[in-house]
Amino acid sequence: MNCPAGQSGLGKRPLNARAMSTSPFFSLRRTVGGFAIFWLVGVTLLHGWMNLHLFAHTGGTKEYRFRIGFLPVTCHLTCPVTDFINRQQTGTSIFDPVRFNGWPELKEAYLSGYTPATFILAPMAIALREQGVKIKIVYLGHRDGSALMVRTDSNIYKIDDLRGKTIAVPGRYANQRLLLYRELKARGMTLDDVNLVEMPPPDMPTALYSRAVDAISSGEPFMGQTELDGYGRCLYQAKDVWPGFISCVLAVSEDMIRDHRPQVQELVNGIAASGKWLDTSMDHRMEAAQFVSTLYYNQNPRLLAYVLSKPPDRVKYTNLKPTRANFEEIEMLGKAAGMLQGTAHFDDYVDTSFAPDDDKVVEQNYEPKTQ
Amino acid sequence: MESVVNGTRAETARPAAPRAKRDWLRLALPCGVGLLFLLAWDLSVRFSGSDLFPKPMDVARAIVELIQHGLLVKYVVASLFRVSWGFALATAAGVPFGLVLGWYTRAAQAFNPLIQIFRPISPIAWIPVAILWFGVSDAAPIFLIFLASVFPITVSAMAAVRNMQPVYVRAAKNFGLSEWELFRQVIFRACLPQIITGLRIALGIAWLVVVAAEMIAVNSGLGYLIIDARNAGKRYDLVVAGMLMIGLIGLGLDMLVRKLENFDEVRWGYANRS
Repeated sequence: MNCPAGQSGLGKRPLNARAMSTSPFFSLRRTVGGFAIFWLVGVTLLHGWMNLHLFAHTGGTKEYRFRIGFLPVTCHLTCPVTDFINRQQTGTSIFDPVRFNGWPELKEAYLSGYTPATFILAPMAIALREQGVKIKIVYLGHRDGSALMVRTDSNIYKIDDLRGKTIAVPGRYANQRLLLYRELKARGMTLDDVNLVEMPPPDMPTALYSRAVDAISSGEPFMGQTELDGYGRCLYQAKDVWPGFISCVLAVSEDMIRDHRPQVQELVNGIAASGKWLDTSMDHRMEAAQFVSTLYYNQNPRLLAYVLSKPPDRVKYTNLKPTRANFEEIEMLGKAAGMLQGTAHFDDYVDTSFAPDDDKVVEQNYEPKTQ
Repeated sequence: MESVVNGTRAETARPAAPRAKRDWLRLALPCGVGLLFLLAWDLSVRFSGSDLFPKPMDVARAIVELIQHGLLVKYVVASLFRVSWGFALATAAGVPFGLVLGWYTRAAQAFNPLIQIFRPISPIAWIPVAILWFGVSDAAPIFLIFLASVFPITVSAMAAVRNMQPVYVRAAKNFGLSEWELFRQVIFRACLPQIITGLRIALGIAWLVVVAAEMIAVNSGLGYLIIDARNAGKRYDLVVAGMLMIGLIGLGLDMLVRKLENFDEVRWGYANRS
């Protein structure tokens, strides 16, 4: 029988090292069994106490609560803002925000039913609907708030200079891909004229810094981060080339609409009120930058403060009622770019019955403490 | 081959001073290599001029920051919880299953192809399935860690039975042991040293996949720390701090499993090998 690697020297160990094993009390079964039970119970209790907060008093509410998926991007800012203000005002929230780090996991959690409501890329929601998933867009997440960045020392100064360059986008169903397609098309080019690579937005600033790609395009704050750190230059902002640009939307399952309509309405009202609150005052935005960065996004508050203020209309959170014209343009571009099949239309994937008209939205009644 | 007794004689015959020197070297050599590694790391970052990749002191400060915020203990506990349960379930399922497959040839013929198909599939490939089945609760990473470790455990238990000396079984049958007693008293005990080796390898793999397992939207754990630090801009000091903690705890877990080799029930298997 061959000796496994690393074990050949075991025979050299002195007998006194076996003192524990020779004692009948410390038999293998008793020691390993006892230790395993002690370890599993101990680590489970610690995990329950420190991470799951199982022993914390929850108030014992019987009301329907649901989880809502979001990513740490400005496109989803109204989700943590609503949760924070709800908790400040009432001590609780109707939903539990669940933060994801990538689009695939966010989408899969929705499909599994774990998050019956989620912030999601608009083309991804449409594509899911085309594939038969029961999903309805009930509100928009934001307007604008995307950009295409190149290095400050790059020789790319206009869209035509992108020909043959490597450009990172967040994924197949990212609206930034549509934005790029739209800009290239306006200059007689197609996506085949550039080298598109898919990359998680958090990795994009490093990829640009290290020259792994020539340009990056995603939502904020990852584009603003390259400016703040001094190596990124904006080629275009979404607000300048496609005013009212939509990237992410709030979507819920049809089952939730059927079974918990009042909660969906309450959620949409909360998101709308938070959007209005964010766009009413720069103080509100700076307060949001602080609490969202530290409590929800784990980012430097300076970064979020930068992208929410420079310029102030870089990303907007009002005028978020879904409109047919906006989505038909996305449908048309998505089909032309090969992202969508064109089999699902506005009435299939949008439910406008929850979205208040913009002039009827009442902002959150919450004043910053750091004014 | 060197027996335990022979080894003991050799130990006791040696003078005390060289032995003390040898013990000192056992500690000094890895520490010296570690220091050289840190020095090379620091110098290479300085010479490269990169302000993204952290120097060793940046990582040390990041670890202090994690401790000050009370996150390090929380994250270590979360990762240990998931690995412990994933590994415990894999052991509970893999060892008996492997012993049965090793003993009953027909069972091995039936199940082995399926095991060999599942075995090379990376836990990362299972992430979508884990989310669809378990949502993003702790069950999903535990499932991934279970999958990563159950196959090495099963295969090592199966191989252990196959490599067992037939004389043990013949002797046991002469004593009229029942099938259950044969498994419990003879086969399991005869295979234990090799099973422990398999467990040691599987625990390493289980700890290895903790980062991939915690890529799912759990909100704690050392894997989560690494993924989360990527969101936080240029916090690569936290990324490397997470990597370092995973390495150090992996070392500790391996040392813990190696303690099992001190037991007579396991030790005989190594000592008698040539």
